[in-house]
Parts: sequence; C-alpha cells; structure tokens
Amino acid sequence: MNNNKYIPPRLAERLLLWFLRNDLAEEVSGDLEERFYKTAAKKSLSKAKLNYWYQVFHYLRPFAIKKYRSNSNPFIMYQHNFKLTYRNFIKYKTSFFINLIGLTTGLSSALLIFLWVSDELAMDKLHEKDEQLYQVFLTHEENSSLRTGPETQGLLAEALLAEVPEVVMAAADTETEWFGDNFAVSNGEEVIKAKGKFSGEDYFNLFSYKFKHGIPDRALSDKSSIVITESLALKLFNTTQVVGKTVEWHLLHLQGEASISAVLEDLPSNSSEQFNFVLPFSIYKDIIGDGMHWGNFNAYTYVELAKDININALNHKIASFVKDRDEGSNVSPFFKQFSSNYLYGTFNNGIQTGGRITYVRLFSVIAIFILVIACINFMNLSTARASRRLKEIGIKKTLGAGRVSLIFQHMGEAVLITFFALFLASLLTFMILPEFNELTGKQLSLQFTPEIIGAAILIGLFTGLLAGSYPALYLSGFKPVSILKGKLNASFGEVWIRKGLVVFQFALSVIMIVGVLVVFQQIRFIQTKSLGYSKDNILKIPVEGKAVDNMATFFDELKNLPGVLNATATTHSMVESGAYTTGIHWEGKDPDVPIRFEQARVYYDFVETLGIKVLEGRSFSKKFGNEQSKIIFNESAIEAMDMQDPVGKKIIMWGKEKEIIGVVKDFHYASLHTPVEPMLFYFEQQPPHSALVKIDGENIQEAIANIQSFYKTFNPGYMLDYKFLDQNYQAQYIAEQRVSVLSQYFAGIAIVISCLGLFGLAAFTAERRQKEIGIRKILGAGNFSIVTLLSGDFTKMVLVAVCLALPVSYFLAQYWLSGFAYKIDLHWWLFGLAGVAALVIAWLTVGFQTLKTANINPVQCLKDE
Amino acid sequence: MKKTRLGEFEEVILLLVGILGNEAYAFKIADEFESQTDRPVSIGAVHSTLNRLSEKGFLTSEMGSASAERGGRRKRIYSLTASGQRVLSDARDFRVSLWSQFPGFAGG
Repeated sequence: MNNNKYIPPRLAERLLLWFLRNDLAEEVSGDLEERFYKTAAKKSLSKAKLNYWYQVFHYLRPFAIKKYRSNSNPFIMYQHNFKLTYRNFIKYKTSFFINLIGLTTGLSSALLIFLWVSDELAMDKLHEKDEQLYQVFLTHEENSSLRTGPETQGLLAEALLAEVPEVVMAAADTETEWFGDNFAVSNGEEVIKAKGKFSGEDYFNLFSYKFKHGIPDRALSDKSSIVITESLALKLFNTTQVVGKTVEWHLLHLQGEASISAVLEDLPSNSSEQFNFVLPFSIYKDIIGDGMHWGNFNAYTYVELAKDININALNHKIASFVKDRDEGSNVSPFFKQFSSNYLYGTFNNGIQTGGRITYVRLFSVIAIFILVIACINFMNLSTARASRRLKEIGIKKTLGAGRVSLIFQHMGEAVLITFFALFLASLLTFMILPEFNELTGKQLSLQFTPEIIGAAILIGLFTGLLAGSYPALYLSGFKPVSILKGKLNASFGEVWIRKGLVVFQFALSVIMIVGVLVVFQQIRFIQTKSLGYSKDNILKIPVEGKAVDNMATFFDELKNLPGVLNATATTHSMVESGAYTTGIHWEGKDPDVPIRFEQARVYYDFVETLGIKVLEGRSFSKKFGNEQSKIIFNESAIEAMDMQDPVGKKIIMWGKEKEIIGVVKDFHYASLHTPVEPMLFYFEQQPPHSALVKIDGENIQEAIANIQSFYKTFNPGYMLDYKFLDQNYQAQYIAEQRVSVLSQYFAGIAIVISCLGLFGLAAFTAERRQKEIGIRKILGAGNFSIVTLLSGDFTKMVLVAVCLALPVSYFLAQYWLSGFAYKIDLHWWLFGLAGVAALVIAWLTVGFQTLKTANINPVQCLKDE
Repeated sequence: MKKTRLGEFEEVILLLVGILGNEAYAFKIADEFESQTDRPVSIGAVHSTLNRLSEKGFLTSEMGSASAERGGRRKRIYSLTASGQRVLSDARDFRVSLWSQFPGFAGG
C-alpha cells in the first residue's frame, strides 16, 4: 500500500492516455509524473493529485488530442446519418424553417412556463422548519354555511402551546396589510413609511429569515425591541451596523420608541411575507387591550408541530379547542402547512378548493399543449415529406438496414433539430425574460443550474422523441419492394392520421381562442360593472399626526378646499372584506343561527361621498349631531334579519341599543369573487383614520395640489400619501389580469405554430397536386374552382376541429367562471366568434399557397416527364 | 509559411528554451516559467506553445534520456533553430529601438 501512495491518480492517467495522441504519450506522462513528484515533495500528496488532474485537463488541446478515425460500422453510419440530416435540411428549407421556428417558440414558451411554475412551487419553501411549520386556520359556522380564514384570536398561540403537547413552538403574528400605509418609522429626523407588523417572541425561531446582525432568540424578547431589514436600516442610518440604536415607530395616533435588536437581510422574493420591520406582539396586545378575547379575531397564529405526527388526527383533536374555552363560539381551528397556503389558499364552505395552484396547472397544461402542437407540425411535415425519402429507405432496406436502425436515424434527426431549437429557445428565453418578469411581477432569471439544464434536456428529449416517433415508426415500416416499384400510394391510414393531427392541433387552438375571449370579457366585466357606488375620482388619504387630534376641523377645512366635492372617513377598505361581527341582536332573532355582518365604522357624508343609494330613511349627517346610537344597514342585511319597515326599529349591537335610521342599496364592498353579504354602518364621534375625498373629475391635478398644500400646513412634518380608490380596486384583480395577458400571448403563439404547420402542409399538397391542377386547368377549370378544391380539405378539417373544441371549451370556461360570484353569461356568439376566427385564420394561411397554385401556368407543370 | 510574429508568451518560452539548454523539456520549461514570472501555467499550455513554435520552425526537438523520477520515460528536449535565434534577436532589437525613442526613459 505504501508504494501505491506515491503514484499519480490512476483514473486521471487513464483518461490522459485515452485522449492523448499515441506519439506524445511517453513524453507527456513523463512530464506530468515529474511534476507530480515535485508537488508531492514540496506541498502535499492531495495537492499533487489535484494538480495532476488539473494538468491532465489542460492537455485537452487540439494539438494533443487523438484524431479520431474509425472504420467501425456504427461510426460510419452516424456520420452518414448526420450528412443526410444536414442535406435534407438544406434541400427542404421551408419545412426545415417551419419546424425550427415552431419548435423554438414552442420550447421557449415551455421554458418560460417552466421557470414560472417552478418559482411558484418554490414559494415559501425557504424555511428550514418547512415540514413542521403550520398555520392555524379557523372555520366559522355562520349563515348556514362554513367560512374559513387565517384570522385567529390573539390568545390562541399561547393557549395552544400550553395545552396541546404536539405544539412545539407557537407565535402570534399580525398581517402587514392590516395596517395599510399607516406604519412609519423615524430616526428622529425623518419619518419613513414602511411595512411593519407585530410578531410573537418565537417568530424568528419558526421562520428562518437570514439575520445580518443579531440572533433570532433575542430578536423580539424585549418589549422595546424592533427588528428591521437591511434596506430599511440603510434608509434610516446609511449603514447596517445599527443594533442598539433607537428608532421611533408611528402607527396612526400611536407611537413608541424601540431599540434595534437585530437586522435582517432583505426578504427573498420567494417569501410571500414581505415586511420592513417587526415589533414585539406584546405591544399589539397592549394596543388591543380588552379586545383580546375568544370572540375577536385579530391575529395570525403559527406553530411548529412535533415530527411525525398524524395531522388529520391532530386536527380532529383540536377542532373543539375554542368551543371548550368560549361557550357559544362558532369556530373550529385546524392546522395547515404554512408553505401550502400560497398555492392552496382558497376555501369554499370549509373545504380547500384551490387557489393559485389552478393557474399553475393551467399554465402547465398550456405549455404541454404548445409543445404538442409544435410536435404535430414536425410529425405532419416529415410524414408528408416521406414520399421524397422513400427511395432512400427502400435502398437502405434492400441493402440490409434493420428497422431499428432506420427508426434510430429518424428519431435522431428529430432529436437533433430539437436540440438545435432548444439552443435557440434558450437564447430567445434569455432575451424576453425581462418583459416576462414585468408581465408576471416576478424576478425570474435563467440560470444554468443543474435542475434547469436537466429540465431543458428532458423537455428537449421528450419533444424530440415525440416529434420523431410517428415519422420514424411510419417510414421504417414500408416494404422495400413496393417502395422501389413505385407502387406505394398514400394509404388510407396515413391520410387519416395526418388529418387527425391537424384536427387535434386546431381543436387546441380553438380552445385557447375561447379561453382568451372568456377571460378578457370577464375582466372587462369586472372593470366596468356598476358596483353600486362610484369609485372614480376618490382619493384615499391617511389621517395622521396633528390631524388625528383635530379631526372635525380637519374634515371641515378639507371639504372647503376648491376642487374637493365631499369628504368622509371609514374603517373599511372598500375593496376587500374587512372586519365583521355576529354580535347583533334584534327582536325575533333565531338565537341558533348566527348571522354575520360586514361592519364599517363611518363618518358623516359616507353615503353621499361614495354615491351609494339610500332606499329608506337617511344617512349619518352633521345636522343631527351625535349619531352614536344610530345604525344603517344594507338591503341584504334587512333581508337576512327578515325585518319589515326597518327604519325606526331598535337593535342591540355589542350590548348597546341602536336605532335603524336608514337602509342603503347593496353595493360591492369586496371583490366580485364573493357575493354581497349583510353589512352595517355605525358611527362614532371620533372619525376613522382613513379619509375618502371625492374630487372634481375635471381638475384632478389642481384638486390634489390643493389637498397637498393644505395637508402640509395643517400637518407639518407629514407628506400626503394618497391613493386613488379605483387603483386599489384594480389591484385586487391583478392575478386575473396577468392570466388574461399571459393567456393572450400563449394562445397567440399556439395559433401561430398551428398555422405554420398548416402552411407547410398546404405548400406540400399544392406541390404534390401540381400536375393534377395543370390538367384540370387545361380541361377548363377556373381559378376559383381550384382554390375551392384545394382549401376544401382544410376547411373540413378545421370545421371538425371547431365542433370538437367548442363543447370542451364551454366546460373549461364554466369551470373558470365558477370562481366568480358575479360573472358574464357565456353567449353562443362567443363560441361562434372563436370558430369563425379559427376558420378565417386557416383560410388566410392556406389561401396564399392555393392562389399561387391556382394561378400556375399549366405548361410549366406539365412540360417535363 | 506560418505567421512569424511572436506573442509575449511565445517569446518568453523561446528564451527559456535557450536558457535551459539541454534541460529544455516541457515540464522544466513550465517550472522555470512559474518560478521566474510567478505566474501559474499548465504543462499543457507550454507544450501547446512549444508545438506551435516547432511548426513555425523556431524550435527543433528530439527525444532525450530517461530518468527514474519520471517513471523511466524519455523526455523531448527542445532547442532553438537559427530562425528561432533570429526572431528572438529581432524582437529584442525592436524593443530596444522603441525604448530608445521613449523620452521618459531616454532622458532619465
């Protein structure tokens, strides 16, 4: 063994001798060995071995490598096949380019979708405890149905940790969105808006965000601590060395001082949680005060569960957890893996029904469709061209070529062109990735990691083998005798399959056209649907700083500004469902049926500013002074309460009696995915912190400028941060809009690829039938009759495709629309339009070819032979 | 006729061949190059350059003696040809003439 120790690595030596020219072997291996011993003596054995490998690889140079010449049969056949493939590409440029363009666009669509899908699937999987990291959801039984949501009681985390042994760690948390743009931090001079939240002590032990300074254990243990991200630290102090420094935080009228306990690296883009700073949950508890009880849902709860537990059994066990503590509660908690929320986040009547995964699946299917369409082109064109290569195959077979080697040749041809296309597709993907990122709102990048390369090679092989399968199997099956005798005519099977493929291809395209039309219509419907209130020209501004203490004056002066038509305030976002209550009692109420009311605290002129229609009674008005004992309901609420002549009646809300002063018409306070539910509006002397200002649509800029200068003088030190209400409204449909745009692009690509195939096929048929057409023309056929003859075949195919595709697309469209509570009707003309579009596109594609053929001079095509 | 212009690396290799004399074979040249310039170089790169210089006619080579430290294998010893000598002195003359025109150097 000792002797073996000081010899160069054998494997490297064998590699060297394998590729090195024989006449160099002696000198080179001698040189390398000398080098090896010298390094071994001077440094170490392992260094010497490593260096040997390094030297070997550096001999991979043209001058030193064996010139590979072989007379072995397989090698010559490879060479031969390559040559034939190359010559075929050169000879039939049109079909080569059609295949290449089709495959390239198909593959780059597939690559883009692959990047997007793998990014979606990786979302929130960054945490080390991913497997054991769960979030608590509550299922509420109300209005005779089940509703599931992530909002839990602030008390739940501690209670679960104390009483459920499977819970190893737990932290309460709040959602950044709850505080909207109302959170800010300051370094004593400048106030900077930032996204913040409150989290329990063990939050950073549950979630493994990377720490730049500080450690997770002590990040939130002190009530006066704050954790901020790197970029916020840079904004505040121009450095990240800020642990121990003091910052002030502001949340509406609340504020406090905190000392920075840790600095986080900026959150990665594959985290669905995005925040700039975190405060201890104990502060939130103090703010909520009496509101921390089992009937108030104002926190998220995250837990780490023990390893290897049966989650179903555990969920069963804790179902009554809340009811055991709070009699009369209608909620049952359950645990759901945190990282699954991103993709599987939608619940319907207590059952998990989908979420983003729908789009992930949709686009995966689209990617496969597009690839299949591109493959069909390849199959069609190569079988169509088969006749041209029949002699080659016949002779090969006569000379003894086996079927396997022929299959291998044609598969190889397909794989070769696919990999060429794959190379082009990578370049293309690389170029359009920035635009794609813009469209999808992601930060994807094409990095050549082993996974991506593996996936690309797999996609390429799959496509190549699929595209090559039919021609390879089909062409190799002919009998050499009939080929060489020229007896082989297009058999029934061949034509049938080729037509079938075109039908299939066009059916897919029609489905995509219908899809695009439906998505587009639905999006437009959402954007133009009358919501029951006017969302145009309404600014949403926060009320903060000095304005908080002088709200009444603030609103009075605001209303008097030129360009401002009206102003009010509300706690409700007006674009999504917010707080709700079941604590309403009235005469004749069935105590067993809890009814849930969406609740909004509002200020004077709420109804007027938003243009909501009053059906009965009146709205809150300054004329009547303090309206604290009054309440307004929407139509649905009155219906749900089953009340006649509601105005003037009394109800009990949270133990206080209130008089109904008005009923307003239903309006859409949330997205159109959900139906309008019972809603109530109540009043308190202190207005809410979010003002809605209706401005003059004619002079928007002027009005905003007026509000800005007013805000500055009224509220020194604060910059006006305004948003248009309809922008917020659009933002909630961003997922649908992206799907709409993306599906338009991908459907477009699918159609273009289909058309390329059709074009190739039309060109081929026209060429094959030249003689027939020549004779027809001589016998007196007109141009028109020839065009009809040639396009008749294609028309039939497309019509069959349309007939097959429409029912399928109807069901798909129905399925997608079922996710909306308010949706368009699927009119017949939508499908008619898609069918006609497919037909017109097909005609345009083949039209050029057929016209060219019809115009041919019969002498040209009949003179030879 | 191959190109007769010398690159910097080629020039150094040629000089080293001249310096090393009877010991001028690929490993020694690479070794000497590293110790003289402090730049790492692979034997393969040196060998490739030697090969190119031979093709240009600046070097000749023949198999030399074997030694135990290289597993009893022979080495290929390179030596300068007359045209190799000339191209080296041309390169030196060219540099010297350039340096003599360089005011900073000539004056100081």
